[in-house]
Amino acid sequence: MQTIIEVKNLTHVYTDSENKEIKALDGINLEIRQGEFVAVIGANGSGKSTLARHFNALQRPSEGVCLIEGMDTTVEENLWDIRQHVGMVFQNPDNQIVAAIVEEDVAFGPENIGVPTAEIRTRVDAALAAVGMSDYAKHAPHLLSGGQKQRVAIAGVLALEPKCIVLDEPTAMLDPQGRKEIVTTVKKLNREKGITVVYITHYMEEALQADRIIVMGEGKLKMQGTPKEVFSHVRELYALGLEAPLAAKIADDLRQSGLNLQQGIITNEELAESICR
Amino acid sequence: MLTDIALGQYYPGNSLIHKLDPRTKILITLFFIVAIFLASGAVSYGILWGFVFLIILLSRLPLMLVLKSIKPLWIIIVLTMVIHMFTGQGENVIFSWKFFKVTQEGLEMGLKMSMRLILLLLISSILTFTTSPIVLTDGIEALLRPFKRFGVPAHELAMMMTIALRFIPTLLEETDRIMKAQTARGADFSSGNLMQRAKNMLPLLIPLFISAFRRADDLAVAMEARCYRGGEGRSRMHELVYYGRDYAALATVFVLIGLMAFIRWGNALCVL
Amino acid sequence: MPITLENVEFTYMAKTPYERKALQGVSLTVDKGEFVAVIGHTGSGKSTLVQHLNGLLKPSAGKVTIDGLDISGKGEAVKKARHQVGMVFQYPEHQIFAETVFEDIAFGPRNKGMQENEVKQQVQDAMRFVGLDFETFASRSPFQLSGGQMRRVAIAGVIAMDPDYLILDEPSAGLDPRSRDAVFAEIMALYKKRRMAVILVTHSMEEAARYSNRLLVISGGRVILDGSPAEIYQNHKNELLAVSMDVPQLFKLSDELRARGMEIQADTMTAEALEAQIKTAKGLK
Repeated sequence: MQTIIEVKNLTHVYTDSENKEIKALDGINLEIRQGEFVAVIGANGSGKSTLARHFNALQRPSEGVCLIEGMDTTVEENLWDIRQHVGMVFQNPDNQIVAAIVEEDVAFGPENIGVPTAEIRTRVDAALAAVGMSDYAKHAPHLLSGGQKQRVAIAGVLALEPKCIVLDEPTAMLDPQGRKEIVTTVKKLNREKGITVVYITHYMEEALQADRIIVMGEGKLKMQGTPKEVFSHVRELYALGLEAPLAAKIADDLRQSGLNLQQGIITNEELAESICR
Repeated sequence: MLTDIALGQYYPGNSLIHKLDPRTKILITLFFIVAIFLASGAVSYGILWGFVFLIILLSRLPLMLVLKSIKPLWIIIVLTMVIHMFTGQGENVIFSWKFFKVTQEGLEMGLKMSMRLILLLLISSILTFTTSPIVLTDGIEALLRPFKRFGVPAHELAMMMTIALRFIPTLLEETDRIMKAQTARGADFSSGNLMQRAKNMLPLLIPLFISAFRRADDLAVAMEARCYRGGEGRSRMHELVYYGRDYAALATVFVLIGLMAFIRWGNALCVL
Repeated sequence: MPITLENVEFTYMAKTPYERKALQGVSLTVDKGEFVAVIGHTGSGKSTLVQHLNGLLKPSAGKVTIDGLDISGKGEAVKKARHQVGMVFQYPEHQIFAETVFEDIAFGPRNKGMQENEVKQQVQDAMRFVGLDFETFASRSPFQLSGGQMRRVAIAGVIAMDPDYLILDEPSAGLDPRSRDAVFAEIMALYKKRRMAVILVTHSMEEAARYSNRLLVISGGRVILDGSPAEIYQNHKNELLAVSMDVPQLFKLSDELRARGMEIQADTMTAEALEAQIKTAKGLK
């Protein structure tokens, strides 16, 4: 598979309010392939959001390189191409919707890059259909639920027809219903449209849906692998301020006490099966 | 609840007036205002009233709804009337008591002035009743576009209005929430003298401003992420198009202006 | 003395086309010493319900009393009664306004009419409870703190009013697991020390199961279930699913084990208790 995002020795340094230099990212090496669903987890301040912002050139590396489809994010001419290829959805659904009518907002991106009027219409309709919001095309965003607003935000990005969508804690401010809506939508876009997804979250049950999980801590890439591989490291995750699914945690405790259980348990069924075998 | 306040006063509908291009409606409103100031004499005013009621009829707005738009300014209207009545100079005294004196000229002037105000209010509220704020913004932008070369930032103004429309309800909700949170901490927003009250507003206003700035910051980043780089090279999903009805409507209002001018200066022309 | 609700009804935007009944015939008593979790999906009426507990909303019908006093009226006594109910809103850090951490936390106590030395004492105590060192933080600007620290300042601002009843609306929203556990550890410590009533509004079944000793399930503006978390999660799974709620993972895991023939006690509420039973069943000590 083709590489869509390539990050080499990426370091991001900023100065805080007390003029101290802080390394938000520290020597990250990473490759994301076309069509992958990658979850990025990490505690607050682990650098996961900063990393995400490098992927569509909202931030530039202090050291190292970030290549999107081979385009360097530090090269000014690449900027708008990169942002068309990699769309970004942010945490607060209220603060990323520009227009007072749903379809007008979805049209905002295509309008910015000068898509012809007739094509904008088709793009907007397709994007709203893809997130299941066609019925709300003429609604006012502030009357929608959190999950619906966030789906509108995703549609707004889809209308730019990106190859990759980066979602920066899209469910942090939503209720369980809204969280479900977003995870289902994103998964569908990944499976059916082959859109590459980079999904930043601190909900481990959402990360479980990904093909690959990247664990961030103190600006470094601490661990990566399939959900099974990553969530088996219960104590390492705990040390990073994260948690593993209950089944993985209990399995780990029981192994500690000498019970012989198979490796890679993350679901309740797997644990119950392994105990009662 | 603060969020109960309806934004703008758009009254959805599908009438001829609703369907007119926003540019047409803005222009009609402006030309009608010109006509109001050209009007002189009872016949002129009669025609103007007729024109306004015709539009209301065509717009299928409830008459009471449109008339209600006079309400917020009725004090000013009555005051205009009274002031002109008592201060107007003239020969034909209708009524006098001590140094108060009402002349026919004064009365006529008062009527004329308050009628102008009412007509102005009616025509502009018909505009806002039949045009959603968003469409209105599009219309203003399109009308201002030719003035860009003189430095009028048409796109920027329209973008600001769009964002304001989008965020007013959000900020109202936020105000409601912060107010409740501070009330729960014993804040009192309604008692004390003026200075005291202004000071009491700080726990509401400071978080509100901080939140507004944070939102602005977030929004700017989100807009940039969606390739926003100003008005250059932008296309639009909805291009405004003039239809036959727009030309007909504009023609009608020109006839109206012509009529007003004729009634005002027509006699002079006849003499010539 | 408790907070009581008697047949409380609440209608939003009454007599308009948007009229919506948010609460219907809610009767309820919350005693000091209780830790009540309130769950329900968005729009179920749970936020409306808790805003009645300290008079932020006035019932359209029915009565709310705090320690026996009807709080619909005006006057000093009512004001005082309402100040006994502290409320931490969602994202409480968004209500911070003062120049220093001390001034912000002192806002509530001063409004309550405490003397300046008492205020200082309360601020110190509250900061200790939320784990903010007084010397380090009291004179700092709250706006230069991290998100988690700002939330603690905001919670301290409510605790410093020394309430008998503490309402928390999703205090862990947006926090990562570690900060979330820390905030709850502080709340539990406070609850145990002051024996106040805590009313926790949450979307998390795990939080409700882990911390509360009474669970209220709200749906359609009514209290549909009221009982101990163990009892409700064990016996009312279907009712919960019907109102798009769920049961905690621990109960699901216990069910999986039971389905495979292992005996798990009905009142198993913690991972430790479950592990102990598995170990016994497997012959480990």
